[in-house]
Amino acid sequence: MKKLLTVFGLVMGLSIAAGPLAAHHGRGDAYDMQNPITLAGTVTEVRWANPHVVVFMDVEGDNGEVVNWGFENSNVSTLARQGYNRRTLRVGQKITAEVNPSRQGAPVGIVVAVILEDGTEIMSRRRGENPVD
Amino acid sequence: MRSHLVVWATSLLAACFLSWTGLAGAAQGPTAFDPQDLSGFWHITDGHRTISADVPPMTPAGEAQLDTSRPTRGRFAGEPLNGEHRGFVRAVRRPGDGNDPTHQCNPNGFPRLILDPEPVEFIQFEDRLVQLFQWEHTLREIWTDGRDVPSGENLDFLGPAWYGHSVGEWQGDTFVVQTVGLDDRTWMDIFGFQKSIDARFEERYRRTAVDTIEYEMTLFDPTFYTTPWVSDTKVFSRIPRDQLTYYGWFGLFGGITEATCAPMNEVDNFNSRVRDPASFGVGN
Repeated sequence: MKKLLTVFGLVMGLSIAAGPLAAHHGRGDAYDMQNPITLAGTVTEVRWANPHVVVFMDVEGDNGEVVNWGFENSNVSTLARQGYNRRTLRVGQKITAEVNPSRQGAPVGIVVAVILEDGTEIMSRRRGENPVD
Repeated sequence: MRSHLVVWATSLLAACFLSWTGLAGAAQGPTAFDPQDLSGFWHITDGHRTISADVPPMTPAGEAQLDTSRPTRGRFAGEPLNGEHRGFVRAVRRPGDGNDPTHQCNPNGFPRLILDPEPVEFIQFEDRLVQLFQWEHTLREIWTDGRDVPSGENLDFLGPAWYGHSVGEWQGDTFVVQTVGLDDRTWMDIFGFQKSIDARFEERYRRTAVDTIEYEMTLFDPTFYTTPWVSDTKVFSRIPRDQLTYYGWFGLFGGITEATCAPMNEVDNFNSRVRDPASFGVGN
């Protein structure tokens, strides 16, 4: 039963996530929407501005090299309606970000979700929130 | 015992029904409205993102001008038309290859801004109706003081404007607006359709319910289109004031949000640090 519920949850999650992703052509196919990646690192900058909120974070690779990644979110008022503001993420905070990365290999992406250290998931696009347009 | 249960269950059902109908009535709010009062907060909830899907035949000048725009919206260039006008099927794959003027924070202009689904407030004064748009946080004035639609030398002296020069009048319960003098550097929509400096728009607003305005527009632009471009019937839906929030908090500064596109954000930061690297990679 538990396994069945897990499969059901995965299917529902994917089908809900597919809606907004498929609806947006404004970003062309700049991002790989089929293969999200997970980044763990430290917030370096939060640009809380319309029409795109962008969060930058330092991510240390396996070779010790630190790369600064940036990922797009929705706009200020849409995020605010979900309870997020410019103080939600702070410079120096450790986060994990799941993003759809640039197809060109640049360290930029479009957010799927941000996971805080306590496991809380915020700014998620999985449930159709945080639509990036 | 059984009859008591039946009475109890029936009473519960009746209470639920009355409660539900009462709530529904409360949610619907008042139904009376003045058909000549368009004031309030609205957003487009139905209608095509351009004038309509039925694009009229273009003149050679119109076709040539269409080819200058490289939109990021619509279906990708090269995909089969499937009966659509080619203007809807030519989006670039890399956003950085586009040349949408708004990506540099240039004005949306009319009619693109009113076709955008973001909220707009209509404010009626004795001598004009003002539209305050959330996107751009900009104003459009529609004069109702009896002045003429600018033409000839007067229009030449006024010069083009991003939102044109607009005059409105009530014809029965329909608010009819004429707009001329539109700057021809803006796109009319997200797809990159364009209009000439000679374009004239006629809009028709008709409040059909307390929460509904039916909206139609027609473009007269013989320089670019061989026949008038008549819109579908679009719908503005009213947004209750307490559902319009500034920075998300109900009741605090409820109203139109300042959704301004600033070059120091969009061009200097977003385009150069995110959009272009995503499109072309680093160092390209």
